[in-house]
Amino acid sequence: MSADRRPEPNPFARRGPSRRGVLGLAALTGAGLLAGCARERPSSGLTAGGGGSGSPTLTAASPSSPVRWPILEGNAPIAAGLAPEKDATLQLYNYVDYINPDVIKSFEKKYEDTGVKVVVSTFNDTNESLAKIRAGGSPYDVYFPSYDQIGKLATAGLVRPLQHAYIPNITNVWPQFTDPWYDQGWQYTVPYVTYTTGIGWRSDRVNEDIGARANPYDVFWDPQYAGRLAVLDDYREVISMAILRAGGTDINTGDDAVLGKVREDLAAMAKATRPQVTITDYIAIPEGKLDISQAWSGDMIAAQGYLPKGTDASVLRYWFPADGKGMVNNDLMMILSGGKNPVLAHLFLNHLLDDEVARENFTFVGYQPPLNSLDPSRLVADGYAPQGLAAATVLPSYFESGYRSLELTPEAEGKWQDTWTRFKAGA
Amino acid sequence: MTAVPATAPAPTPPLTRGRSWRGPWRPPYVLAAVTVGYLVWSLAPVLLAVLFSFNSGRSRSTWQGFSMRWYYADPTLSVLHDESLRRALTHTLTLGLLTTLVAVPLGVAFALGLDRWHGRLPASANFTMLLSFVIPEIVLAVGLFYMITLLATPFVLGTTAQVVGLVTFQLSYPVVIVRARLATIGPQYEEAARDLGASAFGAMRRVLLPMLMPAIFTSAVLVFADVLDDFVIVRYLSSDAFTETTSIKIYNTARGAPTPALNAVATLMLVASFVVVLLGWLAVRRFGRGQEEPGSLGAFAGQV
Amino acid sequence: MSGTAPRDRRRGLLGVALTLPGAAWLAVFFLVPLYVVVSISTGTVDPVFRSVVPAWNPADWRGDQFGYVLSRLTGPDGFFGPVMVRTVVYVLLAVAGCLVVAYPVAWFVARHSGRRRGLVLALIVAPFWISYMMRMLAWVNLLADDGLVNRLLGGAGLVADPVTFLSGRPTTVVLGLVYGYVPYMILPMYAALDRISPALLEAARDLGAGRFETFRRVVLPMSVPGVLAGLVLVALPMTGDYFTNDLLSASPSTAMLGNLINTSVANPSQAGQAGALVLILVLAMAAPMLLYVRSSVRSDLAS
Repeated sequence: MSADRRPEPNPFARRGPSRRGVLGLAALTGAGLLAGCARERPSSGLTAGGGGSGSPTLTAASPSSPVRWPILEGNAPIAAGLAPEKDATLQLYNYVDYINPDVIKSFEKKYEDTGVKVVVSTFNDTNESLAKIRAGGSPYDVYFPSYDQIGKLATAGLVRPLQHAYIPNITNVWPQFTDPWYDQGWQYTVPYVTYTTGIGWRSDRVNEDIGARANPYDVFWDPQYAGRLAVLDDYREVISMAILRAGGTDINTGDDAVLGKVREDLAAMAKATRPQVTITDYIAIPEGKLDISQAWSGDMIAAQGYLPKGTDASVLRYWFPADGKGMVNNDLMMILSGGKNPVLAHLFLNHLLDDEVARENFTFVGYQPPLNSLDPSRLVADGYAPQGLAAATVLPSYFESGYRSLELTPEAEGKWQDTWTRFKAGA
Repeated sequence: MTAVPATAPAPTPPLTRGRSWRGPWRPPYVLAAVTVGYLVWSLAPVLLAVLFSFNSGRSRSTWQGFSMRWYYADPTLSVLHDESLRRALTHTLTLGLLTTLVAVPLGVAFALGLDRWHGRLPASANFTMLLSFVIPEIVLAVGLFYMITLLATPFVLGTTAQVVGLVTFQLSYPVVIVRARLATIGPQYEEAARDLGASAFGAMRRVLLPMLMPAIFTSAVLVFADVLDDFVIVRYLSSDAFTETTSIKIYNTARGAPTPALNAVATLMLVASFVVVLLGWLAVRRFGRGQEEPGSLGAFAGQV
Repeated sequence: MSGTAPRDRRRGLLGVALTLPGAAWLAVFFLVPLYVVVSISTGTVDPVFRSVVPAWNPADWRGDQFGYVLSRLTGPDGFFGPVMVRTVVYVLLAVAGCLVVAYPVAWFVARHSGRRRGLVLALIVAPFWISYMMRMLAWVNLLADDGLVNRLLGGAGLVADPVTFLSGRPTTVVLGLVYGYVPYMILPMYAALDRISPALLEAARDLGAGRFETFRRVVLPMSVPGVLAGLVLVALPMTGDYFTNDLLSASPSTAMLGNLINTSVANPSQAGQAGALVLILVLAMAAPMLLYVRSSVRSDLAS
């Protein structure tokens, strides 16, 4: 904060401020100068060379139209068999609390002889992270994106194609992720974790079984919980939730009627319950700072670790549609071109796909890795989650039955952003 | 600064002359109560926050006994052992130091220059400086963020960008304070030195600068302390975990899962800025000897 | 003074040399960023990345982004309007709150603190040296559902359930702003009130003015400049504030202009909108800023 920024009377200024003088200063550094030194945008090449099809567009990947992303010239994978970088600082760029510090330590230990040190930087939402990465000069080696970002990053050459020779552990994951529709041939990404989006609460603070409601999403519009609930700080999740509540199934729509209804509904929600907009539900719910929150499945499993002493994990609850017709997703790992340690980055990806390491990571972050060796039907029995959180288990079949957030068309994206800004403006 | 004149006027003499009208000289019980109430309201929450940094438990509202756990005893969560907290502390102090080292000389030179150069250009520069003084911080922060990300600046987001932003925002402090001091010193000393044969530069360096020392130290303290406190600029211009300051740390975790370690970090910052203020005060007193009355601690701090 | 010409010229050259670095710094790192914001807010959006393409050349300036913002100020699509109104209302309330607290305190310190003036002044200035974030953190601790305030209220049997102070309550946000910024108002007021000579008050008394009359006819008019300075110094940063709101509410129902700007900047596709909002903030604040700068330049001239 600035303190009292009050200038002192000064006898030496003989003249009042001159408007022309100010303009002169501005002109000195004005437009012509700026135009000359605009930073090379990763996008500009693409926009210029968009091909013969009129206005350039990005291909949108979807399960029905899988995409193999181009590899830009000069952005070839690194050679196989290189020695890891010496005394390097491997920079991870991730959500807060989205990786187990122990698996980082075990990586540092495993490659102790290289002197590697791992540092995690965090972001709050993917808009923020994308903005920083696109700004250029970001030092991150490994980034944990959602799949709707691959296209932009690959087309701009900001992500490095993978050298598969370093990642033999890819065989440990569910087959559907070894050649996924969003990145055919897993050229750029390996899967990190899977999750669903539902509702989380503590049974000792909420006197009803939210899952038993005819429409559980209605709880966010229920005034009896005003000031005590939250939705995720993520425009896709909140708007999709409103669409599903209203009986829709297309959570990638650009339909004005649908989005218009969403706007009304979200405004009604803000009025009825004043929800917070946050992604700290995994702490706020167990600590009792929030009673109900829209939640990612992994956050509720992670919540076990944040319960106050003396509170049993059995009070945690998570709801996701039993028929699997809800939002389901998976996050990824990729290697950014701006990073200085591509070899270590590959080794790190492989490390996190190791069966033991992935499980250890699961126990901390709560997000379920898509491991063949991890039987989803046994998560409760094996003690990963209490009975109340059985619904937080992600089944491979959800990826058939559930709804996925795909990359929106530019037009739809604009409308979604508009809807979100309106909601965030509290109007 | 106008906030406190260098020589504080004498306190109101207690008037006891016998008139029936007691007027404003009656002990102002209501005003005193308001002031005391204000001080309690303003400082008690902070004192409580400091207190809870010594809590032995995890709670920041239930006292569970005294301990230094959150400072160094806890093997993972204490300030000493949580690398991200320690890093935030050192980075904040680094920014404070670098910004002070750049902004103060730049600002002092600017003030001395404006004192000597008259015309439209310096007047506009003065106007721009005053504008940077009052503009909401978010405007400058957003502008610099876009400038650095859209233009081919020789540096990217990170420490350099943060220092650049902070210097820009803080530049006006030394300028304003030094100009105020110049106004009270007047031109006669310099003139005398010149008459005795000193060069323009020599007169400035040997006569004027020593007389300006108290003002320079005051502004250095202000800049340093204000940088420790900065949030908007450092957050917009940060790049990664290495460039997070304590204020960013507090902002990110205050509503999440803060432990008293966060209070401990904040307490350490508080101590740091009080130490700097104290050192600055001592320096001002020392350099101010033989000159005008430098004023009390309150007056010094009041020069904010 | 009648210095010889070469001496004056050399002094002038030294002045230019000393002024230029600072002036250049301000030009590059203060004026250019402002120009960048203008270019962004008048630019277009890249069709693929939906990120901003700034219009560096004034000839290319386009009003799309302003049009977007303006079209959403009022009417059925008007979601910016309510935020602006809310911002103005919160800032006015908070500034009024600051005034109510600051004036009596400043008056007391300037007039009546006597021998304890140094101490009281030091205590009043103390918040300047305590980080703003820490002061907010302190209130987050106090106002949490399990915080001290709720425990006291519950213990006294005043409330059955904890009051959710920290979720979307305008009162919390406005009081938070008052708490955060009131020290910045006390000092200029103190300076102004301190400058009023006790002799004037005595004169007023001798001329038969009563307590209230003295205040109304002497103190109040003489403190106007200090009050105005205090108002401006508090209102300007408050209007751009978003973190107080984030920490004490985190709910869209109390979002202010600063929050909108902050959200838009985080989103590359809304950079133009962010730029436009920043410029709107600057324009809205132009009058008080210029008033302030002019008054300080004028007081230069006066002295």
